[in-house]
Amino acid sequence: MKTRITKTLLDSWNYMFDCAEGFEQEARDEFITTLKREPTPPNEAQQAGLDFEKLVMRIAQGEDVTRLEKGYNGAKQIADIVRGGQWQVHVDTDVEVDGRIFWLHGFIDVLKAGVIYDVKFKTKSFSNLDLWHCYRHSSQHSAYLKCVPEAYEFVYLISDGNDLYTEAYTRQTAEPIENIIRNFMNWLKGEPELLKIYEERWIVE
Amino acid sequence: MIQEGYKLDFSNQTFGVILYGQPGVGKTTLAMSDGNNGADTLLIDLEHGIGRTNPLHRMNCKVLSAANYQEVKKDLETPEAKAAKNIVIDTAGALVEYLKQWAMETQPGAKDRNGNWNGLKGFGIVKTEMDSFVNQIKTVMNKNIIFIFHADEKVDRDGNPIQRLRCEGSFRNTVWTGIDFGALIQRQGGKRYANFIPDDDNPAKGCHGIEGKIEIPDLSAGKKNDFLAWLFDTARANMQKENDAVADVIKGYNKIMEDVKGMVEGVTDADTANACLKAIGSMDHVLTSKKECGKMLNDKCKTLGLTYQKASGSYVAGDAK
Repeated sequence: MKTRITKTLLDSWNYMFDCAEGFEQEARDEFITTLKREPTPPNEAQQAGLDFEKLVMRIAQGEDVTRLEKGYNGAKQIADIVRGGQWQVHVDTDVEVDGRIFWLHGFIDVLKAGVIYDVKFKTKSFSNLDLWHCYRHSSQHSAYLKCVPEAYEFVYLISDGNDLYTEAYTRQTAEPIENIIRNFMNWLKGEPELLKIYEERWIVE
Repeated sequence: MIQEGYKLDFSNQTFGVILYGQPGVGKTTLAMSDGNNGADTLLIDLEHGIGRTNPLHRMNCKVLSAANYQEVKKDLETPEAKAAKNIVIDTAGALVEYLKQWAMETQPGAKDRNGNWNGLKGFGIVKTEMDSFVNQIKTVMNKNIIFIFHADEKVDRDGNPIQRLRCEGSFRNTVWTGIDFGALIQRQGGKRYANFIPDDDNPAKGCHGIEGKIEIPDLSAGKKNDFLAWLFDTARANMQKENDAVADVIKGYNKIMEDVKGMVEGVTDADTANACLKAIGSMDHVLTSKKECGKMLNDKCKTLGLTYQKASGSYVAGDAK
């Protein structure tokens, strides 16, 4: 049996263990919604992230964007880095974990000259955040470095609309995606009902 | 002067460095390790820590002491500051405090209606001025800039100790973006180390072959204080080697992307799209050029109403399904 797997599913699973105290049930509910592949409208923070990403794209593509637009300063710094790259590149690969094949796929924000870029938006000001290694537990860099073997680096471009903070991962510093998938599957095996949902809804036709 | 990226000369490259650690570990002495008893260094001594260093290591160093930020800025215009190769900010956390004071005295937006510090706007003003100050040193004056921070020991969610840079506002985060090297200075077993290994517990950054945990040479018995001089020389040499090694790769990548861009511009229908697809497939690709070219073509085809048919491996007019 070949099943799909995405960074969204893995991150939503991972969030159950990384969420703030008191949000465990909410995180579990969100994971089950993702597992069931139920469409949900973006929440406020997600929408702000999508809007910011669009702003970066517009600036990078040379559109005349006024400096007064919300988030311009941060978006401009990111646009200067990704200009000339290709946006929303679909990537995929088969990953074998313990004899089972997973079809790993997703969309890269920007691909340029061997580097995968991902634009992140923080609704809180950087003044109030500790950003060091803030995406270390994300499966995203592991997943996409696996999908694009020609890429040598994955860089998160993180902004609060004013400032830019970057966090880079290479194959040497990223957790192999096989390990993440293995942990995910081992956890699912302990939750037979959820495993059943996964195998039914994520099967590759 | 415009130069091709692969032809660059790094012999005069300047760097940004973060040195952080607990008090007494020797951060200031290390920051002055220009190999010339401090003669190439201007130390902006905002915490009056210079007195705690060995006089031999600071004998030629220029020390900028100032009562406020305005004085710091003014002194950066002096011939002594202009002659220095390395400018050390000791500490960056203290500079933010100086900037807060400057903002309160000179920037109306930094105060609330009661005349108190307005953190939200105030830190925005401080951040803008800090960026301008750092830019002046790094870009306009073309100096190596060395930020000293105290380590702020915290605990993670599991109660394990972690180190962070002690500094108010967003600068403790954004400072990493423009930095080449960042090390936690540690004392272990009677030896001192610069730890460039980034992990969850200790922020750090290494590049151009400067990585791992590097022992800082013992300075007893009048030995030369030249760790940073060695670091900069090594990094410059490595940058040149790295650049020379990838010159052909970059040239190849740029050529492919330029050629395909031209071809994609000429795509007008399914036939020209498939010819372009075939040409892309037959190229010797470099880095991620194949995926990027494929995406470029696919985007163009979408605008022409063409879709990719997986079974035939070609573009067709209309909806392939």
